[in-house]
Amino acid sequence: MINTNKKIQYFLYQYTPAILLYTSILSEIDFNNSEFKYFSFNFAYILIFHYSLKREGSIGYIIIFIAGLFNDVVNGIPMGISSLTYLLLCAAAAYLRNITLRPNIIKDWFFFLITVMVLNLITFVYLIFFFEYKINYFDQIINIIFTFLLYLIFSHLFKIYDNVILGKFN
Amino acid sequence: MESGRGDFIISLRSVFLKKGNQQKFSLLSLILFSIIFLILGSFNFKIINFNKTIIKEIIYFSSFIANIPENSIKKSFIKTKDHFEYYNDYLIVKNELQKLENRDLEKKIITFENIELKRLIDDYFVEDSKTYARVLTDKDSPFLRSIVINKGSKNGVKLGMVIYDDIYLIGKVVEVNFLTSRVLLISDINSKIAVTIQPLNVQGIMSGLDTQTGKMQYIKEDELINKDNQELIIVTSGSGGIFKSGIPIGKINLTDTLENKQNIIINFYSDFSQLKYVKILSHTKEYSNFDRSNKKNYEINNDKIFKMNSQKENIKVLQQQKIINDEVRLKFELENIKLKENLINTQKKLEEQNKKIIEGQNKSKNLEFLELNLLYGHKCRKNFFKPKLFMINTAEYRNCVLNKGLIKKN
Repeated sequence: MINTNKKIQYFLYQYTPAILLYTSILSEIDFNNSEFKYFSFNFAYILIFHYSLKREGSIGYIIIFIAGLFNDVVNGIPMGISSLTYLLLCAAAAYLRNITLRPNIIKDWFFFLITVMVLNLITFVYLIFFFEYKINYFDQIINIIFTFLLYLIFSHLFKIYDNVILGKFN
Repeated sequence: MESGRGDFIISLRSVFLKKGNQQKFSLLSLILFSIIFLILGSFNFKIINFNKTIIKEIIYFSSFIANIPENSIKKSFIKTKDHFEYYNDYLIVKNELQKLENRDLEKKIITFENIELKRLIDDYFVEDSKTYARVLTDKDSPFLRSIVINKGSKNGVKLGMVIYDDIYLIGKVVEVNFLTSRVLLISDINSKIAVTIQPLNVQGIMSGLDTQTGKMQYIKEDELINKDNQELIIVTSGSGGIFKSGIPIGKINLTDTLENKQNIIINFYSDFSQLKYVKILSHTKEYSNFDRSNKKNYEINNDKIFKMNSQKENIKVLQQQKIINDEVRLKFELENIKLKENLINTQKKLEEQNKKIIEGQNKSKNLEFLELNLLYGHKCRKNFFKPKLFMINTAEYRNCVLNKGLIKKN
């Protein structure tokens, strides 16, 4: 009985990020394009950046790559663009982890902002110049702002969740 | 300085080339792989397209399966909500139904007339093929508003086919796979549709704006004047040949926005978030060869229109007659009430006058009696010498006085 409980807790600890990532991508409740006009944020960015930074290997690169492909197909954008941005986000998080000696949430937060802006820039350039998409820049700015603002809250929530699961696991 | 640069290179190398504990590929290889994906995606090779189609099919169906629990929760929530709003909805629907029934006949006439007129100007399209499809996913992307349906090239779906929600236009097919297709919704910013603003008959181009609204991007007229504040309806104009003319899209309900042409917002008839089944149609132009069968059809339709028009006229006349009859009846009823009141008053007056007359008659009889009493009372009054006469105040005495004494018997 205890073994089964531990197995469940291990499963939750190990696979929750990946499950959350795929749920957010495949689910029709999409915060990235919410019903509200002035509210949207990219949950996948927050999740990938947080777990790549705080728990290396919790979401495998292959899983992230496939999630990106899923996101592209579901959203109807050219295949590979989300995979590229997600992997670059992982790279940014890994770089920050490598150069950080004393972790500071505010530094992480602003580094996340810069990364998200650069990644969105890459996406926009690719979509506009290669595929002639029309983009509503106002919506995208709102998306970036809320993704940046909500990173702190979600990062805190993920930490609490990990602590709860880990506490029970230990 | 050099050590700083060295550190930077080392950390970059570590980021891109180091495989983690559970990582089978390095980050760099996967990034390169996704770039290759992107580059290959921009080429139109058969084998790449085939692979892309397979991947898309798998992902669409997995997305559909992943959404089953969420959709069932959503459905049960909507059902519960509907149940609570059932009675109010029933009343509204009943009211609407009554209105619609009244409009039905008029609509039939207009439809027939419309078909005939379109035939005359060679703009009449007939349905070429019609299929119904289920919406697999309707997830909006920040860059593309579209839905995925469960019909593909296997079912005869082709690029550019028109998609309807009932009779309303919702989009066109932009991607066809073997078992699925993607539909670009009219609410997408990239969809440009040639439309007509009815009943002003103004041409323009519409594009998507929001989940439920569109925007007029270009209007042919310099100024839009809606004098009677009528409800403005947006229908396809048929220009460009992608859509046939006259498919309803939505309506403009803010008349004040007409002053600013850049700000004309269109509310779509269809709720794109609630799409479950859609209709796929393709249209071909009917050739107006006026052969015998066409002529026959033309005559039959004309007869129908004529009959309907006469029916309509009859109904109008009957309605007017009914209104007049109602008015007359009301008038008569009012007059009747007045006459009744007059009759009652007259009867009352008559009774009063009758009473007065009776009283007057009584008075005159008394006076006559008193006069005769003075003259002939002694002939009727009983006394010691005339014991056979009558006592005063008796009926016999009164009769005797009125007869001016005793009547002698022969």
